[in-house]
Amino acid sequence: MKLLRCPINGLRPIQEFYYGGEYRPMPDPDASTDAQWADYVFNRDGAPGVRLEWWYHLASGVWFLAEHDTARDVFLRTFLFEELGQG
Amino acid sequence: MSRRLAPQPGEWIDRNRPVTFRFEGRPYSGFAGDTITSALWAAGVRVLGRSFKYHRPRGLYGLDGSDSNAMFETRDVVNIRGDRAPIEEGMDLRAVNTFGGVERDRLRIMNRFGRFTPVGFYYKAFHRPRSLFPFFENQIRRVAGLGTVNSGKALRHTPKDYAFCDVLVIGAGPAGLAAALAAADAGARVLLVDESPRLGGSLTWHGNLDDSRDRLADALRRVEAHQRIQTRTATCVAGLYADGWAALIDRLRLTKLRARAVIVATGVFEQPAVFPHNDLPGVMFAGAAQRLIHHYAVLPAERPVIDTRPEGDSPAAALLKREGINLLAGRFIARARPAGGLAGIRGVELCRVDERGLPRIEQRAEQLACDAVVMSVGWTPNDTLLRMVGTRMEYSAEREQFLPVELPGGVFAAGKVNGLVGLEDRWADGLHAGQAAASALGFGAAPGGSRPAPAGPAINHPYPVSDPDEGKNFVDLDEDLQVKDFRNAIQEGFNSPELLKRYSTVGMGPSQGKHANLMALRVLAKERGEPLAGKQITTARPFSTPVALGHLAGRIFTPYRHTPAHAFHTERGARMMFAGTWLRPEYYEVVGKTREACIQEEALHVRGAVGLIDVGTLGKMELGGPDAVRFLERIYTGRFDNLKVGASRYGVACDESGVVIDDGVVARLGPDRFYVSTTTSGADAIYREWQRWALCWGLKVILNNATAHWGAMNLAGPRARQVLQPLVDISLAAADFPYMGVRECRLDGVPARVLRVGFVGELGYEIHVPAGHALGVWNRLMEAGRAADVRPFGVEAQRLLRLEKGHIIVSQDTDGLTQPFEAGLGWAVKMDKPFFIGQRSLKIHQRRPLKRTLVGFQTDEARPRTMPRENHLIIEGKEMIGRVTSIAYSPTLKRTIGLAYLPPSMTAPDTRFTIRADGGELVPAQVCRIPFYDPAGERQRMTTPEEDAR
Amino acid sequence: MPYQLLRFALNKKYPEPCMFPTPERLKPRYDVVIIGGGGHGLACAYYLARDHGIRNVAVLEKSYIGAGGTGRNTAIVRSNYLTPEGVALYDESVRLFQDLSDDLDLNLFYSRRGHFTLAHSDASLRTMRWRAEVNKHLGVDSEVVDRQFIKAKCPEIDLDCGHNAPVMGALYHPPGAIARHDAVAWGYGRAACQRGVEIHQGTTVTGIRTEGDRVTAVETNRGVIETRCVLSAVAGYTPRITSMVGLRTPITVHPLQACVTEPLKPWLNVIMVSASLHIYVSQSSRGELVMGASLDPYEVHSTRSTLDFVEGLAGHLLELFPFLWDVKLLRQWAGLSDMTPDFSPIMGTTRIDGFLIDAGWGTWGFKATPVSGKTMAWTIAHGRDHDLVKPFRLSRFEEFDLVGEKGAASVGH
Repeated sequence: MKLLRCPINGLRPIQEFYYGGEYRPMPDPDASTDAQWADYVFNRDGAPGVRLEWWYHLASGVWFLAEHDTARDVFLRTFLFEELGQG
Repeated sequence: MSRRLAPQPGEWIDRNRPVTFRFEGRPYSGFAGDTITSALWAAGVRVLGRSFKYHRPRGLYGLDGSDSNAMFETRDVVNIRGDRAPIEEGMDLRAVNTFGGVERDRLRIMNRFGRFTPVGFYYKAFHRPRSLFPFFENQIRRVAGLGTVNSGKALRHTPKDYAFCDVLVIGAGPAGLAAALAAADAGARVLLVDESPRLGGSLTWHGNLDDSRDRLADALRRVEAHQRIQTRTATCVAGLYADGWAALIDRLRLTKLRARAVIVATGVFEQPAVFPHNDLPGVMFAGAAQRLIHHYAVLPAERPVIDTRPEGDSPAAALLKREGINLLAGRFIARARPAGGLAGIRGVELCRVDERGLPRIEQRAEQLACDAVVMSVGWTPNDTLLRMVGTRMEYSAEREQFLPVELPGGVFAAGKVNGLVGLEDRWADGLHAGQAAASALGFGAAPGGSRPAPAGPAINHPYPVSDPDEGKNFVDLDEDLQVKDFRNAIQEGFNSPELLKRYSTVGMGPSQGKHANLMALRVLAKERGEPLAGKQITTARPFSTPVALGHLAGRIFTPYRHTPAHAFHTERGARMMFAGTWLRPEYYEVVGKTREACIQEEALHVRGAVGLIDVGTLGKMELGGPDAVRFLERIYTGRFDNLKVGASRYGVACDESGVVIDDGVVARLGPDRFYVSTTTSGADAIYREWQRWALCWGLKVILNNATAHWGAMNLAGPRARQVLQPLVDISLAAADFPYMGVRECRLDGVPARVLRVGFVGELGYEIHVPAGHALGVWNRLMEAGRAADVRPFGVEAQRLLRLEKGHIIVSQDTDGLTQPFEAGLGWAVKMDKPFFIGQRSLKIHQRRPLKRTLVGFQTDEARPRTMPRENHLIIEGKEMIGRVTSIAYSPTLKRTIGLAYLPPSMTAPDTRFTIRADGGELVPAQVCRIPFYDPAGERQRMTTPEEDAR
Repeated sequence: MPYQLLRFALNKKYPEPCMFPTPERLKPRYDVVIIGGGGHGLACAYYLARDHGIRNVAVLEKSYIGAGGTGRNTAIVRSNYLTPEGVALYDESVRLFQDLSDDLDLNLFYSRRGHFTLAHSDASLRTMRWRAEVNKHLGVDSEVVDRQFIKAKCPEIDLDCGHNAPVMGALYHPPGAIARHDAVAWGYGRAACQRGVEIHQGTTVTGIRTEGDRVTAVETNRGVIETRCVLSAVAGYTPRITSMVGLRTPITVHPLQACVTEPLKPWLNVIMVSASLHIYVSQSSRGELVMGASLDPYEVHSTRSTLDFVEGLAGHLLELFPFLWDVKLLRQWAGLSDMTPDFSPIMGTTRIDGFLIDAGWGTWGFKATPVSGKTMAWTIAHGRDHDLVKPFRLSRFEEFDLVGEKGAASVGH
């Protein structure tokens, strides 16, 4: 079983985590056209590669972000949401 | 005729412990330490099984547990691998897949029909006419398959175990032993695993044992004495996964191991020489012959010949020659001569070889009489585990074999898997790998010097194939595949490794191609005229050795949850049902009454007197903080900023596409303090998503999933207040505690949160108390309510009661695409709020015509002869125009009522429609206003007789 | 002994020609380029040639024929879906499947077994009834049956289900069938080639050229091909292809694992599915139990196998069939599932002129192989969506007009 590093609890088996999907900032609903909004609601970036994902540590209830290479199934970095944009 | 030899030094059998067993109805005996195969071979049994397709007699072949020649079954266990399975006292074995026993197998006639049944023949026949295919299919199914499973036996639970180590060393041959010692000496905790019952690997059987015996003894002494080395024998590493996760299988259990580094020292698999009749009893691998002698003291054959590359496995050849075996050199077996029947072979015809060592069948050499052929023409790395974790293997023309060229991080290979032959090289390679693995983990220094590289002439024959026109020459014994099968498949266009595998089924049998895949690739390369050199081999799949389902299942944990009042329910005869992961009372059984009668009486009792239902499974969320109300405004479709302290309100939650996903009651306990209920099955997901939204929105809100902290029960019915008032320290008078109010109080001294709710449409108090007190409070209410005749009611009665009120159940009256306007929940959706989840999508929905609307209905007949059921369709002409989501006979209203989706044009009261019930029965019905019962809501708001009387 | 086999015995040389003869080089121009040499792509090529006379067609396959989902699924065919749109589509597929061995002159081992979806709760029994009612209405043989019925058809099953929720009933679908999945691709491939289609294996699409919103050419590792019509039929690889033309889709890619046991003598004659236990099992004509369970819980484009998967599967299987504890799992594998939010496929024309899509087949693609081929061929030939295809157009998402099939999924999600 793969291991994943929770920023709070450290390296844990991946069974302890829930995958929360691709990280998608919500556009301003009022400024979005219907098409833009539908794109946000339904469409996903499904191609393989490195991308930002939501993960949740089930046992402790910690949400965090992971840079996941979906082509190789390798986690490059995990960090708390608050650190988003801090490199 | 016993073939047991005089005691061999280091033999694995215990001659003081005879074991008796039966095979195909006859008694045999062997010794403790024997495998089924070795004991039978020692007893002179030549035919151990029958082949898959042609039902040819088969004997001992690899003695490594991978081939299908020696597969047995008992009454209870199927597909036993006789090469590895120890004999047990009283075992009653038979060969798998025979029709009438291994000796008289009726299907042996298949051997004569080979010309009719080339590779893939079944794709070309039996399908025309279509009507006959089921007949042929049944015949095919009957002859396919190996063992017969006994469906009458009970489940045998096995435990599972976990283990941890720094370095896992797989394979305890010279490389593995050296690696384990080196890693442990450096300071790493080592687990050394071998599938054999003893450590030592090839040191126990291969080559010149006089040389290796001392080294083995010394290594074993050091391993045993080493504080940091643990060993496991008779344990197979069946799977190797990312991050050092490994599945270890022994006779008793699956052990899941986490290793920080892994050294694969799994050695090699022998590869067959391919010549006509190379499958008959007596044709075996050199390794099998040597293991027979050294492990089990069994003579492989009376007059064998050994077929080997002269420069190849010379120690083995020398040793076997000492045992009286003819050695072939500079010649090749053109074909074996069958002895007929069950007797195996009676000789071989030899041919000359060309300068590259390839057989020239047309150049006959002499004939040799023999009863066995011992093959030693090459090996392939046992690289299944390496490939399972993503090692890149590439064919080396120089070595005529695949070699690892790129290993994933944390994985090391040592010994024969690296193509090394000499014992010193393998030992040195093991030391190197051990040090490298340890130092990668911070133990000791990195190994100095470089790894030994394969040197000397290749020990693998590049193409050990004799392929004359006559006689079956097998590449894959499991699947009965000959060279010409591959040629034919390639001719038909199955000319890549994967297509060839899928069409011919090579490698799909019990051995998963360990002895066959390389040969198949060589045939493919030859036919295509493309060298194998530089070609890669694909990822391997678990398992390296098949694993019993029982081992994988373990004890089978199926967790479910009890509410705190569970003991009461079971004592009271409740029929329990699963609700998500919870068990809840469906209804309370009364002797002599039907289920329906019980449910209706429970419901009537709530309407007429008072009932108590366990609602402890509801999700219960606590929210606090200055932004709690803003948070709820964004989560729920309704308005909550104007909710007063001490009041509660129904809430509907949507997902981002506007689909209804949950509902519940939001209670305001303080300005910044809320207590919210959710659906039973939605609780965990709701809490999880709330946490994420809170984070995204940066709101100052504290969330607590208090579902299991609180027990909850709903006391409902006109006498509810009368039962509860004496127990609580607050006034329950309507003026003091109105409908939809919430109060924190003490109930019989226990801190409680009480909500005045109306889900079932009567005066009702939903009482939440700390879970540890819940059973006590429940019992106290039952006791205090004795005079009022309080009775428990279950989920089914509640479903009926809420239906009478027209309240929906999310996921029963809604589906995966229902938005609130369709479900009649528009009143709870405040589109004028600045934002809530799903609002933007609902704005899009609002601009489109509704497709359906949930309405109440009643059937024309109070009790239709054929009662429609939930999800029966509403039919108009030939069209499906709607669907019933809830339906029940209401004993209070004395008619059958329900909820249904209908086209928006048909929602006016009294609109008539037809439900199609079981058997196609058409049941007329009409749209009704909801609620069906107490439309003004007077009863739950409480102007009950008791209230008036006060 | 069927006479077909005599042919083998009477010929000295093996009489079968190459199934997929293909010229060495790509032509500079094709009328239609189909990306993906799986069942769907090959079926489309076949029907284009057979029904519409469009023969200048290239099927480009980056690996080998049937390398993707076609050869990795558990080969179940059924039409007991939930929505009228879904039922109509899959029912047509079952109809085509029943005649397919004869049509393609290749025995696909299409074997009608009967398909049970077990219900362990009131709620799932309700969903079963919904499916049964919709199925029956549309002429699909499907009904809710009780425990006795299940036991009669499969006496080996333990309906009390160990410690789990007992089986309360099932949706029974007599036409439910299994087939030899690879052979479906081979049969379509051979029949397409016989009609002039070219199948180029080992050919990777590296780009798609457009002018304005119109497709003009396909770039491959073996050169550029001009074409005015491209069909993407690549399942788990769809996001890579759609990104070449700048289309966004809701597709996410999850591995779906499956496994087989060692071969056993036949004992399981039906297809048994329990969505609550996340397990489906049938016995192949080789005797192996072919089994699947849930989608992998997170997105990854890798077909690695996990231990968790078989542990969970074994536990649930033994609750239904406890006597299988000694039976050994032989092989495990995975495929990539292109999942959609409503568990329905994405088919038909797109806003890019000449770029068509056949995707979103998630865990339900094999059974739709014939119908997707046939309707997509019609769509290509007519330049507009076939009636069966219309509900599944890509634009349904921005129109908030989904086709909710989650309730009919066998695979746990």
